[in-house]
Amino acid sequence: MTGMTIQWAALALCAMAAAVRIPGALRGHGRTMCAALLLLTLAVGLSIAPVYNPVDALLGRFNGANLLLRLTLYAVFVLLGVRVAAAFASSLARRLVVGPFGLAILGLTVAATLYFFVASELPFSSVGLGAFEDQATVREYAAVGRLYPGYVAACMVLPTGLSVFDRRSRPIHRVAGALLSSSFLLVVVFVVLRLTPLELLDWNVILPFSAIVLLVLGLGLIWLSHMIARRHSVQDNGLS
Amino acid sequence: MELAPRSAYGGIAEIGASDPSILLHETEKSNRKALMAVTARAFQLWRMRIAPHDSVSDVCRIADVKRSTLAQQLVRGKVSVPTIISIARGYGVSVVDALSEFNGFEDLPAGLTEPTDAELLSQVSHIDILRLLVARSEAQESGSESPLDLAPFPHRASVRAWIEAIDPGDLRQQLAGSTGVARQNLSAQLTAGRLAPWIAVQAGRIAGVSLASGLVVTGLITPEEGGWPEDGRARALRAVPDLDLVLLARDRLDVLGRQLRRTELDDGRDRAIWENLG
Repeated sequence: MTGMTIQWAALALCAMAAAVRIPGALRGHGRTMCAALLLLTLAVGLSIAPVYNPVDALLGRFNGANLLLRLTLYAVFVLLGVRVAAAFASSLARRLVVGPFGLAILGLTVAATLYFFVASELPFSSVGLGAFEDQATVREYAAVGRLYPGYVAACMVLPTGLSVFDRRSRPIHRVAGALLSSSFLLVVVFVVLRLTPLELLDWNVILPFSAIVLLVLGLGLIWLSHMIARRHSVQDNGLS
Repeated sequence: MELAPRSAYGGIAEIGASDPSILLHETEKSNRKALMAVTARAFQLWRMRIAPHDSVSDVCRIADVKRSTLAQQLVRGKVSVPTIISIARGYGVSVVDALSEFNGFEDLPAGLTEPTDAELLSQVSHIDILRLLVARSEAQESGSESPLDLAPFPHRASVRAWIEAIDPGDLRQQLAGSTGVARQNLSAQLTAGRLAPWIAVQAGRIAGVSLASGLVVTGLITPEEGGWPEDGRARALRAVPDLDLVLLARDRLDVLGRQLRRTELDDGRDRAIWENLG
């Protein structure tokens, strides 16, 4: 039940975060982040049966919606990785995500995801492919789908975490940094735990969706601070 | 430009004690809270003396202090120094004498002297220094020095400039040692352009300058109340020889340059976050 609640909460938050950015995006501000949040909303929606089932029905009931979910999530992580690395001035993190090594990993991930998807028998709609978990290819497909977000999140934990200890930075940005860092850390913890034989039960849902909630809250704070700054932008020349 | 004292401590006036030994413990616990208050009991005794027939609301009306502010301070048992100063002003009592009634400020009237030239110069803005420099350069041709019309003080950099002007070499260290306020906390206060009144007075004691100077440069009391002569800064500035004036200007520009660089770094970081994630 907790799992269900947090999924809907995450969906609502993502949709809200994306919605508040749309007016700005239409005027040309922060288009990439708006797109990332829209994609994230789509991804979160597709993890929930009431959204997944109609979408998959539309796509022909061969679980194409799940493939869409995976690819959307990769896109979100690439966009997020690039932007977070740039925002927190970490060229290493940026190179790890979109440098040759990062792109190679992304390419391999997409290829493996497509391969395992095609290699699996998926005769009817099942959210999260839960009905087919007895197939080895489906398990590999899910594992690959977790590893790439885990990799990007691992690259982001440190740059965002360090910003928390920057005394010269704005308090609101330090809080946002803490939220983002905890979010990425949760993703890493989740991915690592899934590599162990531990039975996660409810935590299978709670961990990743808490991460999404924290991420969206952190981004929301930054958006808010940007809005406030823009409203109060009195051009200071520093010498007066 | 009337620079409000920034109420030196905004809303964190609650913690604080008139007894330095208490201060030692209080400030170490929370390095953001600065000493800024006297006990309500000492305040009441003093109030009874200067306004024996007035109620608290009369006092607030005469001193132009918000009633809720004073009531809150009394409930908490700590009355802030700015409140006392407002009341003293309202009743026409010398601010320095009023403060001397309270623990930690007793030696204030006796320690009132003329500010030193270094102190006076520290309160001249870099713009005025540059203006004089330009005026002197041009006067060598035209033969006259234009009258000085100095910007009012305290200004944003007043506190730090004053501390630097009176520093015998280890002022910050001694200040930290004798007040029990961590050096980090002192630096933070100076960066923010403020200093707790008790610390400001203590700085004057250590440096052997007028004890009121610290209260003047933090904007708590006016230069007249602190015994700073009205034309003191202009006189001190005029007396500076050309070479020293150039060096003074250089130092000020140096400080300004460092400040700007820091601001630009901070701005750049904020912009990076906003533009990428905002």
